[in-house]
Amino acid sequence: MTANGIPIGDVLLASAALFVIGLAGALLRRNAISIFLSIELMMNAANLTVLGYAAALHSLEGQIVVFFVIAIAAAEAAVGLAIFVALFRHTETIDVNQINLLKW
Amino acid sequence: MTPRLVFDAAAGLAILFACVMVVHRHPVKSVLALVVSFFALAVTYVLLAAPLIAAVQVIVYAGAILVLFLFVLMLLNVPEEARQSSDRPIHQALSAGGIVAFAAALLAVLRGYGATQAAPSVAPSPGDLAPVAKLLFSDHLLSFEALSILLLAALVGAFVLARREGSP
Repeated sequence: MTANGIPIGDVLLASAALFVIGLAGALLRRNAISIFLSIELMMNAANLTVLGYAAALHSLEGQIVVFFVIAIAAAEAAVGLAIFVALFRHTETIDVNQINLLKW
Repeated sequence: MTPRLVFDAAAGLAILFACVMVVHRHPVKSVLALVVSFFALAVTYVLLAAPLIAAVQVIVYAGAILVLFLFVLMLLNVPEEARQSSDRPIHQALSAGGIVAFAAALLAVLRGYGATQAAPSVAPSPGDLAPVAKLLFSDHLLSFEALSILLLAALVGAFVLARREGSP
């Protein structure tokens, strides 16, 4: 299966690599904003897979889905960053190891 | 140059700068590395015959979302992450093991796809926006309108959350 002469295997491999890097960042970083950036990267990896299959199957629905995902990511980023700003006012840090108000 | 070569180069660049993003301890440098990564991803989107999504990726992701991140970083003056790492060794070891296991599982699933050979198919046609627009504003019109409500709700929510206590 190819998408515009690009084998779907290449697309899937690139997407998997980006997803694993994002996962590593989300699990190993301690800065809340870096974790958030890693999550954005994982979302982009998923977008790449969707677009790869959309091109391989000659379908336009994939592009619509990715369009919605990007718009929702924008909304999510705005709310998430507002939460970080509010959190920073309260605790003076965004280190996730020191934010344990809701833990246990 | 074949599309495959360009795709592999762009994807490699995206992966490289994603690694830079994860490795850097300074959040501002992380954001800048992610901008480069997203630009490279936009190139791959063009090659996958999705020019509209590539433009949205550059304008909305690299242009708006990451600039918002930069604004918040400047506002909070986030310090560089400290180099200490021994406060929770079990947690970190478990995370690393989980990442490796996940990567191995993904590779095992993808192994069967790697051998697919490239065959010349339809060339990417960058001017093909009309079919996408027709689909977006006919079949998916309701979702599109719901999205505008969602963005409005996010706007109001972000305003309420980030506002100083006691100010009107």
